[in-house]
Amino acid sequence: MAAIEINKEQFQEYLHADKPLLVDFWAPWCGYCRRIGPAYEKIAETYGHQIVVAKVNIDDEPLLANQEQIEVIPTLVLYQGGQAIDEVIAPESKAAIVEFLKKNLNL
Amino acid sequence: MKQVYDMLIIGGGPAGYTAALYAARAGLSVLLLEKLSAGGQMAQTNQVDNYPGFPEGVDGFLLAEKMQAQAQHFGAKTELAEVYQLKLDTPIKEVQTSEGLFQAKTVVIATGANPKLLGIPGEQKFSGRGVHYCAACDGMFYRGKTVAVIGGGNSAVADALLLSRVAKKVYLIHRRDSLRATQVYHQPLLDAPNVEFLWNSAVTDLSGDGRLSGATVQNLLDGSENHLDVDGVFISIGRSPASALAEGQVVLDSAGYIVADESTKTSLPGVFAVGDVRTKALRQIVTAVADGAMAVHAAESYLANDQDGYM
Repeated sequence: MAAIEINKEQFQEYLHADKPLLVDFWAPWCGYCRRIGPAYEKIAETYGHQIVVAKVNIDDEPLLANQEQIEVIPTLVLYQGGQAIDEVIAPESKAAIVEFLKKNLNL
Repeated sequence: MKQVYDMLIIGGGPAGYTAALYAARAGLSVLLLEKLSAGGQMAQTNQVDNYPGFPEGVDGFLLAEKMQAQAQHFGAKTELAEVYQLKLDTPIKEVQTSEGLFQAKTVVIATGANPKLLGIPGEQKFSGRGVHYCAACDGMFYRGKTVAVIGGGNSAVADALLLSRVAKKVYLIHRRDSLRATQVYHQPLLDAPNVEFLWNSAVTDLSGDGRLSGATVQNLLDGSENHLDVDGVFISIGRSPASALAEGQVVLDSAGYIVADESTKTSLPGVFAVGDVRTKALRQIVTAVADGAMAVHAAESYLANDQDGYM
């Protein structure tokens, strides 16, 4: 499964769905965001059946980024039961993202 | 039984992927281990102007993807794995990673370098919250704001230039009274109306409430200290080699670089160091890719000679 690009309305839907939601807040001009891209796709492939793996372009969705208090990108936020439960800023490896997920969820 | 590769490459920057390309074309079984994505430091440079063949410059991230695709086209494989531990002093070398154990007859260390930390109070605390190491990555957050760049070399000056086009005000804080950067960078920076130089100065403290809002700048000539209101600080004081994995196994120089000459051979048989992690005079993409080719040349002769040094 590939990571899905979502907007503010879709965010609200997924936020209250059964599956946990992982969101990568990013922007096209952010170099490190691009670097995370391939690893993030792998995460979507591996865990996509257990978690909704999504991306939000903060240039397209400035209100959502603001509402979620995103100050730096890339920030990965994990949501469960309608609220943010943890976040990681600019993880340095695919392994670091996996670790972040395993720390918070029973994968 | 687990596969024993002819070659494992650690790190997917230009040196690593060139080694992978040459190894695959030489018919070696080769696996490249990369923790995030192709390109290393190069991938964070959106305009590479000194790689031959691209008169208009080239985006480092795209160049990296092309290098990766080219190596993979000839049969090299990539695993997105973080390497935890190396065992290099045996004929079959072992690499422990987040994706399990890998074995190979030769190992090419292409781990590159990372930005050097300043080591002052607040640096860690505000990292990503006002303290940055890459203007091309994080500069856009400072549109219309006030920032400081610390350093006087090429990357500091390039960062200051880039930020001068985005930020309201840029301070360039340097320990010395002149720039170390190559001449070609000087004039554009001196011409930028919103750049102010703070010579003979060092930042000694970073402060803020949750987020960086100020820096303490010390004048190194008379010891006086001043507070500077800044929204962001970009630290650009050079790089340090990512050689921790190899420490204690291959010989490093006093700065931590893996000692190897142009042949890329390290102090251990069958272990090669390429790119920025190796001792060398000039760290550039072109010298990194040259290392990649050399390492495969050296590894081929090592493999052909029944792994001399162990027999």
